[in-house]
Amino acid sequence: MSSMLRVFGVGDILMCSSSKEAIELLTVTQARTKSRYINSVDIILTDWLMPNGSGRDLLEWVREHKNDSIRFIPVIVVSGYTSEKVTNETRDLGANETLVKPVSGNGLASRICNVIDTPRPFVQTPNFFGPDRRRQELQYTGIERRITTHVIVEKEI
Amino acid sequence: MSDKSEDKENATIKIYNQKHNSLKNKMGMRPQTNEDGHINPDHIEEAEGLVLEICKTGEDAIGKTLEILSNVWNEMQTLPSSPQRQEKSEEIFTLAHEIKDIGSLCGYTLSAYFAESLRDYIAETALNLKNQKIIIQAHIDAMNAVHKAGIKEDAGPAAEELKTMVKVAIEKYR
Repeated sequence: MSSMLRVFGVGDILMCSSSKEAIELLTVTQARTKSRYINSVDIILTDWLMPNGSGRDLLEWVREHKNDSIRFIPVIVVSGYTSEKVTNETRDLGANETLVKPVSGNGLASRICNVIDTPRPFVQTPNFFGPDRRRQELQYTGIERRITTHVIVEKEI
Repeated sequence: MSDKSEDKENATIKIYNQKHNSLKNKMGMRPQTNEDGHINPDHIEEAEGLVLEICKTGEDAIGKTLEILSNVWNEMQTLPSSPQRQEKSEEIFTLAHEIKDIGSLCGYTLSAYFAESLRDYIAETALNLKNQKIIIQAHIDAMNAVHKAGIKEDAGPAAEELKTMVKVAIEKYR
């Protein structure tokens, strides 16, 4: 997959063998230091199943992080599992996209373009933080019975 | 009254809209134009070609990974302490996962099938019982047989026979 990304010309690619390693790396790269030598991470691509901490652990860590430069990073989960359960789980944990293995050039390119071209707003509810899970804008015409209030925040993400 | 306002506070939904699409900026596009980014189709084709290139050595890669996995498994069986066993078990998990990935990417679906089964089994067991060893060994034997016989597809009499062998081991010794 890293070779494909290189062919796409995405720039620097940092690879980690476990979520533990990824967490350590993100902690350093997203620290917003003034160093000219450390670039921040733009997109995370993570396998769902890994030793030493899974993709789930990484995704939870990212979305629950107090630092905005970490919790808003787009995350694409790559998984060999095609079940609806896994897809729903990744979505509910705040993944932007899910890519099913085996990974193809087209599949990878389309997920990356989705993240860049059509970034969904991030939503924070008492039980969820992540990109809006609704991909469609459906017009509701019934009586508004929701008790929730919406606060719109314009943010540099 | 205070309960109600607390409920309302808890029910607040914050929606964060992007001010600027920094990723688009990085790709050299002006965010105001809403111009869609794209990856050069030639590059996508080249990436697809990479998969074919990788798969030229897919069988060898599976063979080598399988050899390492068998060695780690042999080492693991001689280790008495559980932290060391745990480390080896994680190695086996990763190696099985690798075989599964290469197998499914390059069309070695039977190897991928056994590797996935082994990986999932390892994830849910402590691997310290004699019966569990038999199940692991059955998976490794099956993968070795598949590799030596050069079987690719997850169908056919030979594939079914090997799958039954592993299934029986799992059912009998689980």
